[in-house]
Amino acid sequence: MNTLLLACLFLPLLGFLGITIFGHNEKIIAQLSFFTTHAMGLSIFLLLTFWASHGFPSHEFQWFIIYERGSYQFPLLFFLDKISATYLFAVWIIFSVIVRYCRNYLHREAGYKRFFLTIFAFAFGLNMVVLSGSIDVLFAGWEIVGISSFLLIAFYRERIQPVRNALRAYSVYRFCDIGLLLGSWMSHLLFHGSDHFSNLTVLFEHAAPPADFSALLLMSVLIFIAATGKSAQFPFCFWLPRAMEGPTPSSAIFYGALSVHLGVFLLLRTAPIWSYHSFTRVILFSIGLLTVIIASISEKTQSNIKGQVAYASITQVGFMFIELSFGLENLVLIHFLGNASLRCYQLLVSPSIVSHMLRIEGAIDTRPIIDNARLNARLPSSIRDTLPDVLQNTLYVFALQEGFLELLSRRVLWSPLKYIGRKINKLDQKIKYLTLLGVCLLFITSRFTEATQISYFAIPTAMAMIAASLSAFSEKHSFIAIWNAVAVSCFFAASSVWFIHPSDWSYLLLFLAGIIPSWLIGFWILHHLPTITTSTETPFAYLAMAETHPHRAIVLFISFLGLICFPITPAFIGEDILLYHASSHHNAWLSAFIAISFVINGIAVARLYLRICMGRPAEVMKL
Amino acid sequence: MTVNPGKDKQESPPFDLNHAIEHCAHWLPIQGPIKDFVHHNTLHSVQHHPFHQGVAIAARIYGARSYLTAKDYQTLYQDGRITEAAIDWAIKQSANPTVEATKLRASLFVTDNCEHYPPTSLAQHGIRNHWLSTLEIDLNSLMRPIMFRLLGNFLDQGISRWTLAKDNESFWSCIWRLSQNSFIPLYPFDDDFAKQGLHQTPDEAIMLCLQRLVGKEELYEQYLLELLLTHPGWSGMVRLIELTPLALLEPRIISLKEALAVELLAEVALLRKKFGQDFINIAQLGHTKELPLLKDYETKIHIPLNLKIWHEAMEFSLHSELLLALATQNTPTPRIHPPSIQALFCIDDRECSLRRYLENSHPDIETFGAAGFFGIDFLFQGFDDAYPVAQCPAILKPKHLIKESPIAIETVKKNKLTAGLSDLHIKPHSLFRGWLYTQIVGIGYAARMLWDVFRPNSQLLKIKKLSEVQAHTQLHLLREHDEPTEDGKLLGFTFTEMADKIEKQLRTIGLTTHFAPLIVIVAHGSSSTNNPHFAAYDCGACAGKPGAPNARAFAWMANHPSVRDILAARKIVIPATTFFIAALHNTSRDEITYLDQPLIDAVPKEPLHTFQQAMQNALHKNAAERCRWFELAPQTNDHGAAHEHVMARAASIFEPRPELNHSNNLYCIVGQRALTRQLFLDRRAFLHSYDPSTDSDGQVLANILGAVIPVCGGINLEYLFSRIDNAIYGAGTKLPHNVIGLLGVANGVEGDLRTGLPSQMIEVHEPARLLIVIEQTTALLDKALAIIDPALKEWLDNAWVRLATYDPCTHKLAFYHASGWEALNFPEHLHAPVGEHSQAIIAGRNTTIPVHIIRSHA
Repeated sequence: MNTLLLACLFLPLLGFLGITIFGHNEKIIAQLSFFTTHAMGLSIFLLLTFWASHGFPSHEFQWFIIYERGSYQFPLLFFLDKISATYLFAVWIIFSVIVRYCRNYLHREAGYKRFFLTIFAFAFGLNMVVLSGSIDVLFAGWEIVGISSFLLIAFYRERIQPVRNALRAYSVYRFCDIGLLLGSWMSHLLFHGSDHFSNLTVLFEHAAPPADFSALLLMSVLIFIAATGKSAQFPFCFWLPRAMEGPTPSSAIFYGALSVHLGVFLLLRTAPIWSYHSFTRVILFSIGLLTVIIASISEKTQSNIKGQVAYASITQVGFMFIELSFGLENLVLIHFLGNASLRCYQLLVSPSIVSHMLRIEGAIDTRPIIDNARLNARLPSSIRDTLPDVLQNTLYVFALQEGFLELLSRRVLWSPLKYIGRKINKLDQKIKYLTLLGVCLLFITSRFTEATQISYFAIPTAMAMIAASLSAFSEKHSFIAIWNAVAVSCFFAASSVWFIHPSDWSYLLLFLAGIIPSWLIGFWILHHLPTITTSTETPFAYLAMAETHPHRAIVLFISFLGLICFPITPAFIGEDILLYHASSHHNAWLSAFIAISFVINGIAVARLYLRICMGRPAEVMKL
Repeated sequence: MTVNPGKDKQESPPFDLNHAIEHCAHWLPIQGPIKDFVHHNTLHSVQHHPFHQGVAIAARIYGARSYLTAKDYQTLYQDGRITEAAIDWAIKQSANPTVEATKLRASLFVTDNCEHYPPTSLAQHGIRNHWLSTLEIDLNSLMRPIMFRLLGNFLDQGISRWTLAKDNESFWSCIWRLSQNSFIPLYPFDDDFAKQGLHQTPDEAIMLCLQRLVGKEELYEQYLLELLLTHPGWSGMVRLIELTPLALLEPRIISLKEALAVELLAEVALLRKKFGQDFINIAQLGHTKELPLLKDYETKIHIPLNLKIWHEAMEFSLHSELLLALATQNTPTPRIHPPSIQALFCIDDRECSLRRYLENSHPDIETFGAAGFFGIDFLFQGFDDAYPVAQCPAILKPKHLIKESPIAIETVKKNKLTAGLSDLHIKPHSLFRGWLYTQIVGIGYAARMLWDVFRPNSQLLKIKKLSEVQAHTQLHLLREHDEPTEDGKLLGFTFTEMADKIEKQLRTIGLTTHFAPLIVIVAHGSSSTNNPHFAAYDCGACAGKPGAPNARAFAWMANHPSVRDILAARKIVIPATTFFIAALHNTSRDEITYLDQPLIDAVPKEPLHTFQQAMQNALHKNAAERCRWFELAPQTNDHGAAHEHVMARAASIFEPRPELNHSNNLYCIVGQRALTRQLFLDRRAFLHSYDPSTDSDGQVLANILGAVIPVCGGINLEYLFSRIDNAIYGAGTKLPHNVIGLLGVANGVEGDLRTGLPSQMIEVHEPARLLIVIEQTTALLDKALAIIDPALKEWLDNAWVRLATYDPCTHKLAFYHASGWEALNFPEHLHAPVGEHSQAIIAGRNTTIPVHIIRSHA
């Protein structure tokens, strides 16, 4: 069973690697993807049968411990129960359909290899999330899903609109990662190494909960943030329709079927935590309800078919949130299967809508559904003709603006950060160098300071870290400045933790071992940007390096991943320990700061990557 | 910050808004709603210029490429598709006294990766760029979602669940209503400036905004044009609806002026929101010398000489392939035996190979070609259609309405429950029902999806295939009373009108004697699944519809004794033993359906059976020939397997290329079938029948050219420009397309409507202009050209299509230039390639094949 489980997990990775190495032409890629998909399908089938024949147990499997030091350990934990089984089943069906569909659909498309690579990476991340046994492993898979989603939205990289929408989706993802980052830290903190999903239920079965109300509330809210972002729930509904930029099947598998339901999965997994108090359930219920209201109203005025399906999907996920708040787990699982298949199918056949509406229905039907007649009958005659009009308009404007959610989140989350960042960037360059020098001085002073006092040094350092992140976030002109600011911010993060926990160097090494090479490589590439005719007239043109210098673009991509602590470098574990240590000395605020700073860094670097690598090469003849 | 308009006014005439909008609208694409896709010249706006100059001007406006890359042409040269002789010819044509021919020739082979780049253009590098480069605000990206959502919902034809437009409400008043009469603000019209602007007329609002945004009158028109070109798809759609409101099923009142006013107000509002009241306008920014200006778009152009020569050389090489074959084939002999069966096909290039195989299958079959509406133009309302559609080329305005009704009044019993279930994914639901359905039947869609994807040929997705269209209906063709309908259309034709139409058609194709006992009128259509561009696959001469109603009407009329009596009086005697029947060829599935069972029952069994057999045989071979283009198709000699494949292709939900349509269309031959009977034309020729001996004054020819030039030329140029710059003239790849309001497709949710053809339709197309070859003397052709519409003459004189003649007596070829006829002579030693039969020619080849002479036919 364990072998099968590992096979389910790693076959997509194998497919990914196979296509990377051998995928020279379409035929080979098609064959490789055919075999790995069906091998994965077979192992999922066998795993599920085997699991069923054992009487549907909740099966936990610890493969090995990647890293262990002191009280901290990072084990590779997997867990299979009815929730993961249901999700695995859906992955099997939908992934096989999509791979078969794409064999022909993407035939002769320029990005054939890129597409298959990305959906295999997605399948790998997805299986990792589904089979994860602890929040750390889940987080790793979560990040992989996020990045592959980002890449598929920007699949048509020569056009600016997909690239912008990719950044939009990624920003929401990244923002909601705060939830998971801090959530994983809190689970370490609260449950002391017993943060296995398998233990959660047991923990809460005791008379007294493992943590007090406020801690549980905080943790639940963090989980909700993570889940709402991924599942496009209130207040993040707006990104999902705009993510429909890749080839239709990729939209179907991500935003119709699987990725959009990962938030629900996270909630199912962590149900014991947030369902302990009824207040948190009420929060969840309200999120679901608000989503259902806003999304179903927004759906009414979507004049394009994919947007309509997207909002229909969001509405159903909203229902799932409501069902979850009542603890109807099994219903949610059925609902998930139904919604995933239906939306996937709807998106796959969405181009048929024209012929369907015109040839089958034989007639089009655009009667306004806000039906005056019925409403009028119930209203007093004096206001029959005046009130409905303004209400109708109001409702329509509300639907047209999709509940103002995008404007709202821009105003609340985005603009203030931009504003502060811009102020920081206006400061003299000298002040920035002085800050850097100051932190270094703190290191030297720390040698002569008492151990108990050193932790206070963390406060200015953390401030500097946030400032560096914000500076990167709102820098528009210089790529190198963004890159360095992010690196400096990471360095400040590491130092601030060190000030709190000066005895231990090893995790810092681990963290910096990921960050520093990425930074250096990226720095080199940015320094040697191919001389593209970036005239003064178009300072904001996308540089299209993926088109002109594909190898460099890949290297820059990898260093981008390294700098945002993606789970391919040791920095990922380093980041985790960093947060773990930061909080272990009653300095919870520091973890929050670090998490926020990482999130902002991620968005800043992603935007830099897009501006350098995406876009159409500037091919213009000056007359 | 007030602007002083007095300063710059002295030289240029005062700005006239209506005039400026007319000018700007001229540059917009004219592509109607996607349900009736009509091919047209993508660059109609520069058609009054010679081809190369027009293309260069367009490049200056839109920022598109004008030619393939030098490397592409050089590869074609290495592959032998561009000949030395053609290069010489093209150099001679370029007639450039400043550069020596040898130097010019050498310049062609220089490695050059930049010459094909588009020039700096109004659409990409104009004055509106200042917003981004100087003020650092990406106004276009901010505007697009706002504008497209308003336009999309206002014009929506049935996707949105709530309709925005009220009856007789214009776009302007609709926006006014939403922004003024609602409890919550309509972003960004909640700005004071925009609020006040909305209270004015669109004219006043535009002038206010222009003054605020631009501040310099001479740049107003350019600003408007650039604004429209940031989203040519939507601008063009608005313009089209403004001019032809009937293009929409649900009428909408909108004008380009209103759309511009709304957009400009939103721009000012957005700028004010970001920079406050006193943002800097364009006049204050100042601009550099390199900035493209509207006033010199016609003079400051660049025609890359080497690419122009390469392009002409490529075209002449490809054209020569046909001309050489015509010149060197054995003199065509008219058929000796009277044929036992005649078939009239559409002119369409996809019927070219089918006709070849059909004649090959049975020597007694004679085929004709004519524009696929068969000369009968009418509006048609099918049995279960909600609205009538025009069944004729887009340039004709039909006056007659034909309705279809079931023969026997048999109620179509639908199993309501299953019908409801199978369409569940497309119907609107209430909130609660949506939740319930998703819970209960959602999982069923997993099964449906598996089935559709792994067993595509079985039909679960029930889009009615053309071959399944029930033929148990009849057309009401005969006019019973002269009272016009509400729209001023006449219901049906009188016998005289019918006879007029039939006579004209028969005379056009030169079929006035020797009628065979069975004459089949073969219309064509195409069925495809999951394809919003389906209308582009149907008959171009029927405005993007299957031609079945026209074929049925033709057969019914030509069979009617009263019509035949009138015809006989006009010296066209159709013997009583001759029967006309109608059929529909499905070009994607290669199937044929015989229409109107009662008609077919009346036909003698023997010729009908022969025809059906020959047709079946021909369809299988035709499918095999088509398969050579499909990389994933079986490349075998097994015609049955090939046929299976094309059927599955048309039924698969995952197949973006159900067929390749007019890809590689290149020739149009107007003449007797004898001229082309022994040629292998590789499905690249539009074939129109014409008897040069019966046309003494060029009138018939003028009629033919009147249909051939816009229909075939339009198809050809749309393919050509979509291929040359698919990103700007074409629709890009199909894969991310999203259907917007049943009006068109866009990329993603907030993209502009894409015009032109998707890359899957044109990727193997060789972009060369159409060559029309006419079997007639130059003298008579000059007569015909003198009487055709000057707008059509423009196509020829400006070389948007090329024209050549084949003299029926002397067999000499002449090539048309605006300056006169150029006699074409090929050297003695040149011969067109010869093949044994079609299968031998196509074996193992998956690129275009030069015109061959088929020996077995000779």
